[in-house]
Amino acid sequence: MSQWLSEVIATAQTHQDWLAPHRQAALAELEKVRWPLRKVEDWRFTPLIPVEKRSVSLATPENTAFSAPKIGELSAIELVFSGNELLTDVSALSLPEGLEIVRFSTATAEQQQVIESLLSGVKPAKHLFGQVNDALLADGLYIKVAAGKTIDTPIRISQLASNEGDQHLRVLMQVEAGARATVLEDGYGDASSVNTAFSEYVLHSEAHLEHYRFAMFTQQAMHVGGCHFKVAEKAQLNSTLIGYGSQLSRLDVDVIYTGEFANANINAIYLLAEGELFDLHTTIEHAVPNCTTEENARGIVGDRAKAVFNGRIHIHRDAQKTLAELNNRNLLLSRRAVINTKPELEIYADDVKCAHGATVAEIDDTALYYLLTRGISRSQALIMLNFGFIQELISQIPNEDIAGWLLTQLHDRFVGMEVK
Amino acid sequence: MSEQIEQALSKQYEAGFYSEIESDTFENGLDESIIRRISAMKNEPEWMLEWRLKAYHSWLEMEEPDWAHVDYPKVDYQAISYYSSPKSMKDKPKSLDEVDPELLDVYNKLGIPLHEQEMLAGVAVDAVFDSVSVVTTFREKLHEAGVIFCPISEAIQKYPELVKKYIGSVVPRTDNYFAALNSAVFTDGSFVYIPKGVRCPMELSTYFRINEQNTGQFERTLIVADEGSHVSYLEGCTAPQRDENQLHAAVVELVALDKANIKYSTVQNWYPGDENGKGGIYNFVTKRGICHNDAKISWTQVETGSAVTWKYPSCVLKGDNSVGEFYSVALTRGRQQADTGTKMIHLGKNTRSTIISKGISAGKSNNAYRGLVQMGPKSDGARNFTQCDSLLIGDQCGAHTFPYIESRNPSAIVEHEATTSKVSDEQLFLAQQRGLDAEKAVSMIVNGFCKEVFKELPMEFAVEAGKLLEISLEGSVG
Amino acid sequence: MLSIDNLHASVEDKTIIKGLNLEVKPGEVHAIMGPNGAGKSTLGYVLSGREGYEVNEGTATLNGKDLLDLDVEERAREGLFLAFQYPVEIPGVSNMEFLKESVNALREHRGEEPLTAAEFLKKAKAACKQVNLPLDFLKRGVNEGFSGGEKKRNEIMQMILLEPSLCILDESDSGLDVDALQVVADGVNSQRDGQRSFIVVTHYQRLLDYIKPDFVHILADGKIVKSGDASLALEVEKSGYAFLGKAYEEADA
Repeated sequence: MSQWLSEVIATAQTHQDWLAPHRQAALAELEKVRWPLRKVEDWRFTPLIPVEKRSVSLATPENTAFSAPKIGELSAIELVFSGNELLTDVSALSLPEGLEIVRFSTATAEQQQVIESLLSGVKPAKHLFGQVNDALLADGLYIKVAAGKTIDTPIRISQLASNEGDQHLRVLMQVEAGARATVLEDGYGDASSVNTAFSEYVLHSEAHLEHYRFAMFTQQAMHVGGCHFKVAEKAQLNSTLIGYGSQLSRLDVDVIYTGEFANANINAIYLLAEGELFDLHTTIEHAVPNCTTEENARGIVGDRAKAVFNGRIHIHRDAQKTLAELNNRNLLLSRRAVINTKPELEIYADDVKCAHGATVAEIDDTALYYLLTRGISRSQALIMLNFGFIQELISQIPNEDIAGWLLTQLHDRFVGMEVK
Repeated sequence: MSEQIEQALSKQYEAGFYSEIESDTFENGLDESIIRRISAMKNEPEWMLEWRLKAYHSWLEMEEPDWAHVDYPKVDYQAISYYSSPKSMKDKPKSLDEVDPELLDVYNKLGIPLHEQEMLAGVAVDAVFDSVSVVTTFREKLHEAGVIFCPISEAIQKYPELVKKYIGSVVPRTDNYFAALNSAVFTDGSFVYIPKGVRCPMELSTYFRINEQNTGQFERTLIVADEGSHVSYLEGCTAPQRDENQLHAAVVELVALDKANIKYSTVQNWYPGDENGKGGIYNFVTKRGICHNDAKISWTQVETGSAVTWKYPSCVLKGDNSVGEFYSVALTRGRQQADTGTKMIHLGKNTRSTIISKGISAGKSNNAYRGLVQMGPKSDGARNFTQCDSLLIGDQCGAHTFPYIESRNPSAIVEHEATTSKVSDEQLFLAQQRGLDAEKAVSMIVNGFCKEVFKELPMEFAVEAGKLLEISLEGSVG
Repeated sequence: MLSIDNLHASVEDKTIIKGLNLEVKPGEVHAIMGPNGAGKSTLGYVLSGREGYEVNEGTATLNGKDLLDLDVEERAREGLFLAFQYPVEIPGVSNMEFLKESVNALREHRGEEPLTAAEFLKKAKAACKQVNLPLDFLKRGVNEGFSGGEKKRNEIMQMILLEPSLCILDESDSGLDVDALQVVADGVNSQRDGQRSFIVVTHYQRLLDYIKPDFVHILADGKIVKSGDASLALEVEKSGYAFLGKAYEEADA
């Protein structure tokens, strides 16, 4: 057991509130963890050394100068979380009809019951840091979109690592039958900290969720988080995941189909420079027949950075007529950079169409030559081509403000990375 | 439909007979004294014994790997006999005429006549029966070309310098749990040396047969292809049908020096156990080759047998411009479990590797491809292409793909693709409507699916492999 | 304008161009015809500087500048334009972004101010219209999902935008129906201004009905084995390359 984890357990035991019973279950799991985790497949390529020797100190919301960036002209319902507290006064928000937002810390007894019934109902128990989040969370958000309602205004939940110290954010969301919503979870900061953020989504039948998760923590701000989805009959999930690297940045995404004829499209982009690390694990559980998954993950890794991608598709015994495709493409810009990718298929049903592909490549010579014959300089052509394959995914984002902002952010980050 | 195919797949194992041959078999169990006795039986020099003992002590410290997608009860390593030899082999027969006719009969029954005049022309065979090599054919002819092809026990005595230099150089003693065990207790296997610039005049082949009960087979094969030489080698394996599981933990090492070319083909048909998963061979094998500059190693395997397979024939592409290939067909049925694939370790510049893996799962079996493609920091211009296809027959089986890709070089290119498909009712109906029966149709579809791999096998064996699949798929389809 | 003297070039150690001479003066249109494998496409690649195409002997100058000494993009900036037979698809890079980058790189080289987005858009729209390409095409990835005809028209559209001094059209007619061919030819003809020169590489005479050449050269086995006026192309049309058998054999000897 690492110093950090034993301190997590000790700290958790001092929390006494209505979530305490829930916390106990997580603590029991954490007691069993055999640290170090180098031999555990889930952590094989991502060393936890930066966490291992840390002391646990919970962050407090002092630094008010630090705020989440403005995303183009995006007007969203903004929920800002920093230093283990929600800075937004939820009660003061004027919410559209059909949208309910509740803080764990101010939940009524009735609401507490709902939250308890949902908490950790989607997030698989296997996520070690998810258990840490269960054990240490001080506050969280419960969001509900009522059946049949369409919430046009995006809901934005930002986590800011503005101060040193750890923080743990939890989000629970229910999108009821036939409802539609857009959620953006983003995180920023570079202060020395461990930031966990786990969100659980229940998409009821015919629900539609546009989801974004931007893990944009950098440098000393470590981030270990997850987005977990239960997707019911005929529901649609579109998710865009962006990963920057920090000393340690890890995102686990789980999609579990609970009803037939549901679809998920997942696009992930990671752009890593210097000594950054980003690790994306996605697991798609096709537990029922007739669902469709399309997943594209693309990354550029420069300098001494390291990218880890593990994309698992699991087709259960009865999940006939599944269509699942996963594609992972990587560009390596430097001799000291590393990519570890593992697209996995585990299939127990025969009448399915599944494919995955992974490539690590340099630029297509023919495309480069084509650009050169049009007088474009080699360095500019390399940027266009490298970034082109990222841009392709951004162009699929339906929200123009988010797409435009992201394009600029990623382009600037990319140009800042040394090309060749 | 799946019922029809199920029946088609329940075909009996044809090599499952046991031969009453008197043998000297060690009592069950493993300790230092057993290793000393094995070494003594083989008249080994001291250095070999020491090497074995070191391996044994490392093994004691190691843990059995559990990461593969297979599930089997723990092996009791004290319940196995580590040495078994037919009695008639005690006074080494000098020629084929002196070999116990009953032994020769076993091979005849398996369709591998050992009399040179009856054999496929151009194929030399080393026949390994339990722990000893029974006979090696065509030695004279090979000798003329300067090729050494003999049991490894003999090579340790006759060519100690060659063996000492290369044994453990590709698969170190402590490489993994099963390799360490093999290094401690290996009994026989083949040794091949092809001198500089020589193109081996015939196919070399080793046929492994487990006969005795409660014995493990731990063969060790070492092939050294000197600069600019060429060799094609094939191994085949069968075992009797028994209710108990038997362990086969082999090590194969290939060394391809500059510009050498080694083609290694396997047709593995160990007893797979019955339809309920009772009995069958545990096939835990470490195979690896090293390629020096401009060398090439090509692994081709057709795996239809064994209850559990754990096997990853690999290439270390150390030399610049070296080439590694892996072509595999793995068919599992009944309760068989296979976790097989390859590792391509690109170290040198402009190294190339190709992986074509075809997994066919039927019955209640599980079939996994597990592979690693690694591009080292100095592998400028290296390329890999991987294609993994799975075919599922019926809805009770599993097909899995676990490809690990690691790149540390910006100019290296790795491409991995995987697909799955099934034998569909439509395909079956079409074939039946055109007058084919279901089993023929399935076999045709499977053969088509495996075509890319079969064409890599030496011709005689491609036919054999096709037949083997057909037999595996054959049955009483109405 | 373009002057090629005793050019020898090879690909992967195989010599393809074996002593080619060609003089193209301002405003001239030269057609290069020849059987498959004669080295027609290779010529365009060698002149544009494609990697892997080695010049073993000879010289090529454009407006007095030694072409062979320049990088691919520098040759383009000096006014050399190659319209590809099979333009590559570049998903993710939009036509708009690509063309703007290209036009401004050339302008910068000529010492001109870069075009503003609005100015560029106006020009690009006009060029699209000229070759019958829909405007939404500017937003799409370079050649991505284009039909064969659209790709060819895109090449001509780029030529119009980039205003080169020498255009090499590599089989710009292949795979086109008569209507598409007319569009391509009109695009090319609109750019004939007495100064701009063209090398039209084609397998068939058909294209030359639409783009009238001043000279026709027959390329066989890496050399020009026969030159003439437009009537030479008609001869080829009538009797194929076989009638050149004798000349071809002489050249080959």
